[in-house]
Amino acid sequence: MILSSVIIVLGEVLEVAILISLFLALIFRFKISYAWLIESLIIGCMGAIFYASYFDTVSQWFDGFGQEVVNASIQLGIYICLVLFNTLIYISRHDQLITKYLQWIMALSIILAITREGAEIFLYISGFYSSELLMMPVITGSILGGSIGLSLGILIYYTFTNMADRTSLYIGYSLLLFVSAGMILQAVRLLIQIDWLPAQEIIWDVSDWLTESSVTGRLLYTLMGYEATPTLIEIQFYIAAILGVLLATGFSQYFISKKSSGH
Amino acid sequence: MTPRNIFIVILLHLSLSQSVVADTPKFTIEIKNHLFYPAEVIIPARKKVKLIIFNRDKTSEEFESYELNREKIIMGNRKGVVFIGPLEPGEYPFFGEFYPETALGKVIAR
Repeated sequence: MILSSVIIVLGEVLEVAILISLFLALIFRFKISYAWLIESLIIGCMGAIFYASYFDTVSQWFDGFGQEVVNASIQLGIYICLVLFNTLIYISRHDQLITKYLQWIMALSIILAITREGAEIFLYISGFYSSELLMMPVITGSILGGSIGLSLGILIYYTFTNMADRTSLYIGYSLLLFVSAGMILQAVRLLIQIDWLPAQEIIWDVSDWLTESSVTGRLLYTLMGYEATPTLIEIQFYIAAILGVLLATGFSQYFISKKSSGH
Repeated sequence: MTPRNIFIVILLHLSLSQSVVADTPKFTIEIKNHLFYPAEVIIPARKKVKLIIFNRDKTSEEFESYELNREKIIMGNRKGVVFIGPLEPGEYPFFGEFYPETALGKVIAR
């Protein structure tokens, strides 16, 4: 029981931890304050408790597909935040107000991520509430899993902040690109699951090479939405999601160059 | 409208028109004492299938499968529906993520 609790909680915490550490590592280079983080964590946890308590009701929405619709919307919301983040972060050097917006965007994405992932943890743990025998191992495993996830997040943060400026921006930015596309892929998978997007036959199968259930597979799934057996629509949305971020960045670069040449 | 938006609109349209076709075969699974009944579900290959999962336990369970790319939390004494396929012939394991030691099963596409 301990091991499965570690795995579940680690998986959920890691998704949020990677997002937070990437944000912090990137804004570290832009000297933006971290003050928004504590509030976001607290509001996120409140959101998670709220979502978990109404999970039964939410699940009944849309003919029993409420869970998928809400979760896909949350993933889409985080994607939009990440696109805005990428667009604004390069302009922020020139503008105090935009820095303020950036903090709101980061806060919102973290609140959304914790609400979704945290609710799953609450639902999982609450299932053992009445079982004296299993409660202790589940709590122990969950604390272990949470701590490992947190430590990995801190490790990522310090790895980035100790790199050279250019390298860390380059890698951090690329990682954020794949994390964003992973959000869209998760949303697409949920919509296929409820038949709102078409079910198709798989295009390729690389599960002999790397299964999604392996540690590496799970880590890559969290980092970039690794999918061993994608369908065409999943690949299309994944590429579209990456293009969306690149276009947004391109736009902000153009905006900066125009602004600086105008002066 | 950017080409990407047009593309998404076309895709959404495709998905809506597909959903109208309603002759999807249905299969039922039950969760009891953190076990799946039946533990093996035989479905037609290369066909989209509707899987209805009744959770007869008081505790919630997450139906999860890496091979099928599905994950859905089903609260205690509730049912959940997931669509799977079209699948190539073969075996596709699934499990209950909250009780992975006992809640194990597989979909067999023939």
